[in-house]
Amino acid sequence: MIASRRRGALVVALAIGACLAVDWSLPLIVADSSVRQLLMLAACSVIVAQSLNVINGLAGQFSIGHAGFLGVGGYTSAVVASHLHVALGGGEPSLARSFVVVPVCLVASATLAGLAGLVVGLPSLRLRGDYLAIVTLGFAEIFRLVVSTASANEGIVARLGGQNGYQGADGQGVPLYAGPFWILAVMLAFGVVAWRAKFSGWGRALRALREDEIAAASVGIDPTRYKVTSFVLAAVGAGLAGGLAAIMRDGTPVVNPDSYGFAASFDAITMVILGGSGSVTGAAIGGVLVTLSIKAIELVQDLPLVQALKDRWEWLDLNACRMIVYAIALVVLMILRPEGLLGEREVGRR
Amino acid sequence: MTLVLEHVSKSFGGLRATNDVSLRVQERGILGLIGPNGAGKSTIFNLVTGVYRADAGTIRFGEDNLGALAPARIASLGIARTFQNIRLFAQLTVLENLLVAGESMKRAHLGAALFRSAKDRADEEATKARAGELLRVFELENVAGAEPVSLPYGHQRRLEIARALMLAPRLLLLDEPAAGLNDAEAAALATQIRWLRDEFELAIVLVEHNMQVVMKVCEEIHVLDHGETIAHGTPETVRHDPKVLAAYLGEEA
Repeated sequence: MIASRRRGALVVALAIGACLAVDWSLPLIVADSSVRQLLMLAACSVIVAQSLNVINGLAGQFSIGHAGFLGVGGYTSAVVASHLHVALGGGEPSLARSFVVVPVCLVASATLAGLAGLVVGLPSLRLRGDYLAIVTLGFAEIFRLVVSTASANEGIVARLGGQNGYQGADGQGVPLYAGPFWILAVMLAFGVVAWRAKFSGWGRALRALREDEIAAASVGIDPTRYKVTSFVLAAVGAGLAGGLAAIMRDGTPVVNPDSYGFAASFDAITMVILGGSGSVTGAAIGGVLVTLSIKAIELVQDLPLVQALKDRWEWLDLNACRMIVYAIALVVLMILRPEGLLGEREVGRR
Repeated sequence: MTLVLEHVSKSFGGLRATNDVSLRVQERGILGLIGPNGAGKSTIFNLVTGVYRADAGTIRFGEDNLGALAPARIASLGIARTFQNIRLFAQLTVLENLLVAGESMKRAHLGAALFRSAKDRADEEATKARAGELLRVFELENVAGAEPVSLPYGHQRRLEIARALMLAPRLLLLDEPAAGLNDAEAAALATQIRWLRDEFELAIVLVEHNMQVVMKVCEEIHVLDHGETIAHGTPETVRHDPKVLAAYLGEEA
């Protein structure tokens, strides 16, 4: 018991050391900051996919409004980070100072997103399937529209910058404190949480509810408790991911409401379905693949050949075509492999 | 603890599924609930387990009034059941089907999943031990890692009973456990039901169409027709009751 405790502490210490090493060495290994940004975004997407997997995979609910929780987390952390930054006297966002700023940001993001998850989770007790999906979508869109349509001098929401995005407490841009250390550490931590949650009595109860609610209740599983907690856990994960992405080093110093539109929710769903609904490692793979595919399309856009074609046909915008490409890819996947890459299985288990 | 139903009624639209039914299940007793199709037997199970709410009457289990309780709460009081059309958790393994029932009794919460205190680990071990024991008793050890849908029908029935027993219930409601079994299996089941009662010290209510099983197993029989009680008593008295012969056995002859 004590030995296992000690081993656990050692593993955590080693993981933290490894994350610090990555933080220090990443700029040396990867010189291109846009590639670093992509890698960190992929790590954030892993958290996004693993959190949505709790609702859509384990609990068998269907949320299409995950972007709402990302947005709550993103704005919260950006606001907290910039105010702390100003209070600490401005300057360069250093790694040392990030140990004060980032934890506060993440706790705030996770708390507010978790509360939003509680609010959205409550209707899930009475609604199911399509109806619940509409509620989640409604929540995400309400959040995005409230933030983006608030115009100047309209109270506290307007301070979030409306359609122009939030650019920090002093208008100088959001301080980007979350380096590779934080992104990697939170990704690992949430991965452990998602894994433990799935392979615990709690996760089994969620999966049992997904299979048969009446039978689950007959063996003492209270649908209310498990459904609501699943929404809260998923929202906390999304809040963390959104919070990290908003203050990510090498990222953009503006938090824009359009980043949290339906496309973001759709990307999250794609990640989960692609990796295999219910699989924690599958969600991680899906998160990385989808993020990289977005970048790949951008790279293809810049090819001279594509540029030449674009000059000839103005409507050829691959970014706009992305949704079509995705939809086709998903349809093909559903035909060839309806359970996703992994199904409910896990890499490195059984 | 005894289960007591007093003047219980339940209608669906214009249909009276259960009309003024009163019955009592003694501690460690075996009560047979029989009647033609649509007599309201499964409705009674659904009323007792909280799936339906009674329109009138009271249902008590020991000191507790079940009328206002949710199904999960009723299960935690020690009332377990099986379903007429077997309801297993298809994508969980056989072992997990048992674990999930045992864990719900320990109130498996998210905190326990994430931090796993010494007590949580001890609970886990205890649940696993009980599940292993039941797998042995019901001869399902060899298929512990399989998905239930891959099992033969008889195994699935046994698994559902084992899952119910994970709750360490005081009362077990069996909904047509002999359905789909051949004569030999049904005869074995009859022996098993009595053995279950003695081994796990619980009361059993049995809804069953197979009269051989009912007559062999039950100590008391309650006969329903069109939602109403038409007879009640020992297997001997019920067997010769003219109303029963007319309404139920007569129909089959």
